[in-house]
Amino acid sequence: MTEQSKIRNFSIIAHIDHGKSTLADRLMDECHAVESRQRADQLLDSMDLERERGITIKATAVQLNYLADDGEEYALNLIDTPGHVDFNYEVSRSLAACEGAVLVVDASQGVEAQTLANTYLAIDAGLEVLPVINKIDLPSARPQEAKAEIEDIIGLPAEDAPEISAKNGINIRSVLEMIVRDVPAPKGDRSAPLQALIFDSQYDSYRGVIVYTRIKEGTVFPGMDIKMMATGAVYKVVEVGTMNPFGLTPKESLGAGEVGYITASIKTVADTRVGDTITGLENPAKNPLPGYRPVQPMVYSGIYPADGAKYQDLRDALEKLKLNDASFVYELESSIALGFGFRCGFLGLLHMEIIQERLEREYNLDLITTAPNVVYRVTKTNGEVLMVDNPLDYPDPADIALAEEPFVKISLIGPQEYVGNMMELAQQRRGEFRDMVYLDASRVELHYEMPLNEIIYDFFDALKSRTRGYGSLDYTFLGYRESRLVKLDILLNGEIVDALSFILFADNAYPRARKICEKLKDNIPRAQFEIPVQAAIGGKIIARETIKALRKDVLAKCYGGDITRKKKLLEKQKEGKKRMRTFGTVSVPSEAFMAVLKLDED
Amino acid sequence: MPIITRQTNKTPLGIYVHVPFCRSKCQYCDFYSLTTKDDNLLDGYLDAVCDHIKEAGPLAPNYKVDSIYFGGGTPSFFGADGLAIILTAIRRHFDVTQDAEITFEANPDSVSDKLLHRLRAEGFNRVSLGIQCDNDEILKKIGRPHTYAQAVSAFQRIRKAGFRNISVDLIYGLPGQTLQGWQDTLDHVLQLNPEHISCYGLKLEEGTPLYEYRDYAALPDDDLQADMYLAAVETLRGRGFKQYEISNFCRKNLQSRHNLKYWTGGEYLGFGPSASSDFAGKRFTLLRDLHAYILGIREGGEVMEDVQEIPLRERAGEYLMLRLRTSLGISREEYERMFLLPFDPLEKVLRKHENYYHTAQDGDGRWFLTAKGFLTSNDIISDLLLAQDGSTPLKKI
Repeated sequence: MTEQSKIRNFSIIAHIDHGKSTLADRLMDECHAVESRQRADQLLDSMDLERERGITIKATAVQLNYLADDGEEYALNLIDTPGHVDFNYEVSRSLAACEGAVLVVDASQGVEAQTLANTYLAIDAGLEVLPVINKIDLPSARPQEAKAEIEDIIGLPAEDAPEISAKNGINIRSVLEMIVRDVPAPKGDRSAPLQALIFDSQYDSYRGVIVYTRIKEGTVFPGMDIKMMATGAVYKVVEVGTMNPFGLTPKESLGAGEVGYITASIKTVADTRVGDTITGLENPAKNPLPGYRPVQPMVYSGIYPADGAKYQDLRDALEKLKLNDASFVYELESSIALGFGFRCGFLGLLHMEIIQERLEREYNLDLITTAPNVVYRVTKTNGEVLMVDNPLDYPDPADIALAEEPFVKISLIGPQEYVGNMMELAQQRRGEFRDMVYLDASRVELHYEMPLNEIIYDFFDALKSRTRGYGSLDYTFLGYRESRLVKLDILLNGEIVDALSFILFADNAYPRARKICEKLKDNIPRAQFEIPVQAAIGGKIIARETIKALRKDVLAKCYGGDITRKKKLLEKQKEGKKRMRTFGTVSVPSEAFMAVLKLDED
Repeated sequence: MPIITRQTNKTPLGIYVHVPFCRSKCQYCDFYSLTTKDDNLLDGYLDAVCDHIKEAGPLAPNYKVDSIYFGGGTPSFFGADGLAIILTAIRRHFDVTQDAEITFEANPDSVSDKLLHRLRAEGFNRVSLGIQCDNDEILKKIGRPHTYAQAVSAFQRIRKAGFRNISVDLIYGLPGQTLQGWQDTLDHVLQLNPEHISCYGLKLEEGTPLYEYRDYAALPDDDLQADMYLAAVETLRGRGFKQYEISNFCRKNLQSRHNLKYWTGGEYLGFGPSASSDFAGKRFTLLRDLHAYILGIREGGEVMEDVQEIPLRERAGEYLMLRLRTSLGISREEYERMFLLPFDPLEKVLRKHENYYHTAQDGDGRWFLTAKGFLTSNDIISDLLLAQDGSTPLKKI
């Protein structure tokens, strides 16, 4: 066990693209934890997806052994935090495992919405927050202004904040020295009953779940019987140790103040919820650590295999993903149109996209995804209250006494010249203006209250495009509010395609219905007969398009040399049909579903 | 007596000779051809093809050649002497039947009376004349090196030279073509009284000039092309033509024997660059490069590419894809006997399309496509291939 006075537990918080992962890499380089030739860039972002998107999806931790200027060697535990608003809860748990946080602020862009949100989380968690000004080598860098912003907006002294360039390795050592000097050493009684905070876990097919934990009180060692206080699951510890950049280093025990891992032949991450407290089966702690809450999915959508025969494959893939992601929930769903699939709950839209992409890439599945929706609260005339996460369960309008949808408070930060664009966007999405704050001479923070439903589709993309990439977004849940909601059904050839139904705000129904019909018309291939495409509310048709009958699809010439080529064309056409779903008499390719999801892109 | 028995037991074989020379390149054409009159190259080609034929002949002792087809390119542009020499080589090295159908393709600008008489005397008995359209403006637009008047004159001279089986190629869906314009083409060409007409829908092939300027070419849309096609079917049927394949019509049962081999699974051997063969269970193509082909034959190198042995299961798919192009259609008995696969899943699909009058069944239970079915044949055939995919072989009893 490492002496507590030689341990520093910290995380790095930053806005996307402000250089968090690059700084983490440099810190590792500086500690010689990683031979540079062995290092793929941005080690902590270990999933391909994370590297491609430049964001951290899962928290990870790594121990750096740093020989400080005072001649002592310190164990610096860097706990990486997810970098997206969808994962706020995970961020808060990662922060709870630390005593300090390095706040990275881009010298040219200054404080952003995400920075603020995470900084407040860190301050709330009682962390020592240490600002660092990054990217000082950029011509557009304005470190003094960035420092002033930190002081004005966040209220943190930033005078002595190191000015660094993570990319070019400038002043990295000053960050490490600052961590040793200013992050408090952890406390905790190593002989007390065990209290270990789970801040992440990961499924490994050989060892089972690897639990990443911060020991708050007591000691854990192999052979010890442990209990998860929230889930009640009981296990015998197989191994404990610390994480280094190349893998796991087993230890004899982990004691209060240390960050490390525990394996205990745990079969599912569902038993190791982020935020839960591990204690000993004998001599348990009286209370769990504060702050645990079960994850609440905010966004739901149906996921179906494009090829119905792949249902079992999809099921297996979801099970495996679930092993590694306790915040993702799913249950069996069956649609008349799509057959068997799953209703899946996500923390947010990014989380949803990530799951979809992983299913497609890592499990090689073709998916049909239905339009995402939030959870609506419906009070029926008989007094019954329903939480509706699936449009199919939406009651008949005649039975509804009160319909409510979740509202969020959003914060938009962007350059002053884009205020008009940001306001316009927020108002288009039913945002109610609350206030506007000038963060400095050129940057503005806007607050709106708006339905969550309006930001789950493409709000973030729209914000980025209207602010030339400078706008940033954060949101917090406010509660349910009354709303005028309708369920929109889509009919193909007169039959409702249940998988295309969704709930929306009444005033948006007409324009949206028209767009959907147009999109479907463009994306459903002509059949041997004419196909009406209609949108309806209740029994009332509010939009219509017609797909004309197929008249010509023929290979006029087919002689000797053509046979192989033409055969390939027909094979391709056949394969395309395999991926289509038949609704009544109409075949719909999965692209048509995707097109409906991406209504606002043009 | 034994000699006659042996003859009738031989398998029929078609021979295709690709003649890769043209006066000029048409805007829509992606066949392999060169616009050259370089004597060295022409001689090199002639020697190579004849050597190739000489090499191949002994490999086909149990075949009788009942069809020889000179395509291109423009065989008539290559000239009578060359065609005669190649035909002689084929006769020398293969067993060519008495009544073999011997065709050459011709363009209106390269059929002199001298050439026609010479080839008739050599034993050619069928000409396929590329007329395409009766509108000189359109002909010019698509790069044809002749007028319609030249085409009429060519046809009449071919007839006069003694050819009793003349085929005419026409294209619908050409730039700026109207339904009435197409109808006029049909009416005018019918006045010539050809025995056989091929009506092809214009296909935009990548790499051709027309493909490049397709957006500016005023091309008829799919609906108009469909109307043109149906107009052709109706007009030609009304004039006593039988539609025996999607794009092919004939009188007096004078179907193109050579082309039928492609659609009915017959065997054929190709000579000349880019020519394809389906021979002894293998399908292959010769190099699509004249110099490489000549060199390959001369030096004994490889001239074949893309050699494929087609498994029975794949042949079953080809049976559907090719037979349904023809008026022969497909039958349960044939299909189950040849491929040991169940016909029921296919029949279900055929019945579905029968609802739209795109498929039909004759008194003997054979299924075939109607004219509207031909027009949407890709959709129907891919449905059938899908149904076939899911079927398991019948158990042999």
